[in-house]
Amino acid sequence: MTALVVVGLVTWGIFVAVDLVTMPQGLFSRPLVAATVAGAITGNLTSGLVAGMVLELYALDVLPIGASRYPDYGPAAVAAGAASALVPQELVIGVAGLVGLPLAVIGGYTLHVHRRRNAISVQRRLARVSAGDARAIWELQRNGLVRDAGRGLVLSVAGVCVALVMARMPWSEFPRASLLNWAAAAGGLSAVLGGALRSGGHGARRRWLGVGLAAGVLVVLLQ
Amino acid sequence: MKPRAEALVRLLAVQAAWTYERMSGIGVGHASAPLLRDLYATSSPEERRAAVARSAEFFNSHPYLAGVAVGAVVHAERERVPGAAIVRLRTALSGPLGALGDQLIWAGEVPVLIGLALAATPWLGAWTVVLVVVIHNVLRLWLTAWGLDIGLREGLGVGAALQRSWLPQAAARAQSAAAFAVGLAIPIVAWQLLAGASRQLVAGVIGCTLLGVALALGQMTRERVTGLRFGLGLVLVALIIVGGFR
Repeated sequence: MTALVVVGLVTWGIFVAVDLVTMPQGLFSRPLVAATVAGAITGNLTSGLVAGMVLELYALDVLPIGASRYPDYGPAAVAAGAASALVPQELVIGVAGLVGLPLAVIGGYTLHVHRRRNAISVQRRLARVSAGDARAIWELQRNGLVRDAGRGLVLSVAGVCVALVMARMPWSEFPRASLLNWAAAAGGLSAVLGGALRSGGHGARRRWLGVGLAAGVLVVLLQ
Repeated sequence: MKPRAEALVRLLAVQAAWTYERMSGIGVGHASAPLLRDLYATSSPEERRAAVARSAEFFNSHPYLAGVAVGAVVHAERERVPGAAIVRLRTALSGPLGALGDQLIWAGEVPVLIGLALAATPWLGAWTVVLVVVIHNVLRLWLTAWGLDIGLREGLGVGAALQRSWLPQAAARAQSAAAFAVGLAIPIVAWQLLAGASRQLVAGVIGCTLLGVALALGQMTRERVTGLRFGLGLVLVALIIVGGFR
């Protein structure tokens, strides 16, 4: 991995982290997008896409609503996409899970820390905000953005380091390593199916889920 | 930049200073500032400051629909509605905008796009990613601008205007569409990920998947066993087997 690739991945990781929390919230942080671009930066778009698909199964189980605490799949998917691009083709799915899932949990924790830091920042300027000082409001917004970018920087650097470790692993010495593939895939499939059934309730949505599943099975059978 | 355009750009960062206490109140205040500055250009600084302070109080909604509240509040300020009534308007809008936006976007449009993208990946490859990003961002920008405009136009009557609009029906339908798209994607993604696996492995994956689904739906386990935790557990078990029995 060249220095340019590392810089590209870290920059993309920061952008992706900021996209989830601060701006522009344009779906760049979705695993499918984040990991595919990371794979392309690393030189293997297809592996990045597969890594993104695996992590997307987990992300579909999450509704990022209001004050709820949720994992941050963005920088995790960047690391997973990069790592998957650097390992043997037959281990892409497993490495995506091995790298992406723990990093998503850590990313979720940093989100909580970020919000608490925002609260401290607001407390410090409370008098000015209450007095209608637009400058204080701008400072809070700017500091929130900078803090979020810092969060993205830390996660991205950690993620790239993990990807480099994965690339140097002697995978050929682990003949059962493909088990990781099936574990990551089974976890993802259970996450998306369980989440869809849970959120589908008992009415029309569950019926539409059934119709979709049947249509999907039909598409597969026709291939 | 004109005040409306400046407010639109700022609405893209409405959660920059999000906190558990004020939620997106600071961001809404920031987005309102250009419109209020324009509105109070000839008024006393005290009046403008009071309006800015009101605009930055607690507010919670879906970020894409925060513009509705920004527009409605600015309209009310223009009409010289008393400050207490404006605060009540923000509070009244907070819940419905959050619920509608969550249903429409997080539980509707996003799963629809992602589900269809996952289902189309075997045929379109990475182009699905490009399509998802472009379509979502066009919709997102349009929705933000529509929200700001309906708020600016309707003011205190924005709640009734929203009820008459396409939004509630679209929010309800989006979730059914999302269920279909995710359902469509599951067998296709499974087929892609399990390509080349032996029957035994496929049976093992299906068994683990069903176990995970049972835990996700079970009365005793649904709160504790999320998809992520179950997946992490499986990967950990696989890691132990891979490392310990090589």
